[in-house]
Amino acid sequence: MYLRRNRGKSAPLTLVIVLAVLLIAGIVAMINSIPLSIRTIYAYSQNYLGVTPRGDPMQTPILRAVIERESPVPIDRILTVRGSEAQVTSIVGDWPFAVLGLPPKDFDYYLRRMGVTRISGRLPKSGAPEALVSEPVARNQKLRIGSIVIGPDKNDAYSPLPVRVVGIAQSPNWMMLTTYEYHRQHHFPPIDVLLVFAKNRADQARLDDWAIQRFEGRRARLFAYRQLEEEADSMFKILYKILNVIIGTLVLVITFMMGMLMNIYLSQRVPEFGLLQALGYSKRTIVRRVLGETALVVGVGWALGLVAAYGLLSLVRMLLMDPQAFALDALDRTAYLYSMPVPLAILLTGVLTVIARFRKFDPVSVVERRLL
Amino acid sequence: MYEDHGREVFAVRAVDLTVHDGEFLGILGPSGSGKSSLLYLLSGLKTPSAGEIRLDGQALASRTETERAEIRLTRFGFVFQHPHLLGYLSALENVLLARPDGDRRPEAETLLTTLGLADKAHRLPYELSGGERQRVCVARALMGRPRAVFADEPTAALDHRNGVQVVEMLNQGRGDGALIIVTHDPTMLVHADRIVTLVDGEIAETPD
Repeated sequence: MYLRRNRGKSAPLTLVIVLAVLLIAGIVAMINSIPLSIRTIYAYSQNYLGVTPRGDPMQTPILRAVIERESPVPIDRILTVRGSEAQVTSIVGDWPFAVLGLPPKDFDYYLRRMGVTRISGRLPKSGAPEALVSEPVARNQKLRIGSIVIGPDKNDAYSPLPVRVVGIAQSPNWMMLTTYEYHRQHHFPPIDVLLVFAKNRADQARLDDWAIQRFEGRRARLFAYRQLEEEADSMFKILYKILNVIIGTLVLVITFMMGMLMNIYLSQRVPEFGLLQALGYSKRTIVRRVLGETALVVGVGWALGLVAAYGLLSLVRMLLMDPQAFALDALDRTAYLYSMPVPLAILLTGVLTVIARFRKFDPVSVVERRLL
Repeated sequence: MYEDHGREVFAVRAVDLTVHDGEFLGILGPSGSGKSSLLYLLSGLKTPSAGEIRLDGQALASRTETERAEIRLTRFGFVFQHPHLLGYLSALENVLLARPDGDRRPEAETLLTTLGLADKAHRLPYELSGGERQRVCVARALMGRPRAVFADEPTAALDHRNGVQVVEMLNQGRGDGALIIVTHDPTMLVHADRIVTLVDGEIAETPD
C-alpha cells in the first residue's frame, strides 16, 4: 500500500536500483564480449586440430603417420593444406587470421564440417586468385563478391596477386579459403599443414588433449581450441582482476549511496513507525512490513534492471556489434550475476538501518511530535 | 524518571492511582506537571523506572514488549494531542489500522458515520480539516470497543467547540470501556467520573 500510494518516493528509489544494475551488468557484459569475440572468431578450431612442422618442412608426413598410428580416437579425415596470414578486426583491434589453401577435392568435406548451409557465388578455382569467405568474415571485413581479401597492397594480408572473393558461405564459423594450388604457386614458405578431423566434437577434444601431450617438445606446432581457450583465459586474467576491483568498488559506492537513500527514505517514515508502534504494532511486525516493502522495491528494481540491461545490450549488439560481427551476449549470465551484490547489499543496508533505528526508538517521542 | 541531557528527571513520582472499568477519569494539570507521562505509563507506552503499573493485577513490566504492544492494539485505544494519521491512507483505512485483524470495515464505517464523517471516509488526511482529522483519530481509538481509551490533550489543537465535541464523542462512543483524558482545560471534564490533578509529577488532590 505504502509503495503504491507513494510512487513519488518509491519510484526514484527503484529507478536508482535499475540504473545500478544496468550499469554493472552492462560493463561486465561489454568486457566479457572481448574474450567472447576472440573465442567466436577462432571457434572453427573446435572442429579440427591444426598441425604444422617446426624447423623442417619434411616433418609433415612423419607427423601424419604418428597421428594415424597413435591417435586415441578414430580419425575421420586428415587434410593437407597450405596457409597464409590475414587480419580480422575485433573490439580490441586487429587479430591474425589464417587463410587456408585447400585442395579442391576437400572443399566439400571442409565446408560440411564447418556447418556451411549455403554459398552465395561459387567456390574458388584451383590456382586462381580467388577466395571463399564465410558470412561473419565478410561482415567483419566489409567484403562482397569481387572484394579483395588478400593482395599486394595489404601489408597485414599479403599475397602477390589480388585475391578476390568469389563466394560467401553461410556459416557461424569464421573462415577464409583459397585453393592449395594458389598457395603453392604464390606463397612462401612451402609448408604443408595438417588439419586433423575427429568424428565428433567430444573425440576432437580428446584428440587435441592427446596431441598437446604427445607433441610437446617435438618438431610440431599445434593449433587446438583448448590452447586458444587457455591463452585467452591467461590473457584476460589480469583484465578480470581489474574488473573485479572496479565492480567491487562500484558496488561499494552504489551500496553506500543506496544506504544513504534508504536511510532518508526510512527516516521519512519514522512518524508512521512511531504511530503504529504507539497503537500497538510490535517492532517485529513493523520491521517485517518495512523489510517486505524494501525487498519488493529492491526485487522489482533488480528485475527491471536486468530487463533494462538486456534491452540495452541487445540494442548495442544490434547497432554496434552485429554490423562488424563482434560478439556480445545480451544474456550473459556472468554479467547478471555480477549485479547480484547490489540488491543484496541494499537489502542488507535496509535491514541494518531499520534495526538500528528501532534499537532505541521511542514511539512517544513521535506522537508528542518531538521527532517530527 | 527519564534522562534529559544526562540529568535524571522525575516526571511522575509517588503516584498511587486505580482506574476502574467503565470509568471516565480526567487528569488535570499545568504544562510540565507530568500528566502525559502518567498517561503513557498507564497505557504501557512507557515503563516506569520505579514502581509498578498493573493491569488486572499483573504488572505490565513483567510482560514482554510484544505482549504490551498486543495489549495496546487489542484492548486500548489512543487519541493523541496531534491528529496523527498516515498520510497515504484514507480516513477509513486509518481507522482500520487500530484493528488489523479480520474484516472490520463495517464497524469502521459505522463509527465514521456516527462521528459525521460518512462522506469523507475515502478522503486522504490532507483533504480533511483539523477537527475532522481528530474525529478520525477518535473513531480509530473507539474501534473494537477497547477496554480503555487513553486521550492525551485531545482538544489541544482544536477550538473550544470542536474540543467539546471530541470529548463528547469519546465519552459516548466508549461504551463499557474506561476513558482517561489528560487535559489542562477543566471544562473538558464536566462529564468525568473522577478528576485527579497533577502538580510537579505528584497527585495534588483527588476530588470525588
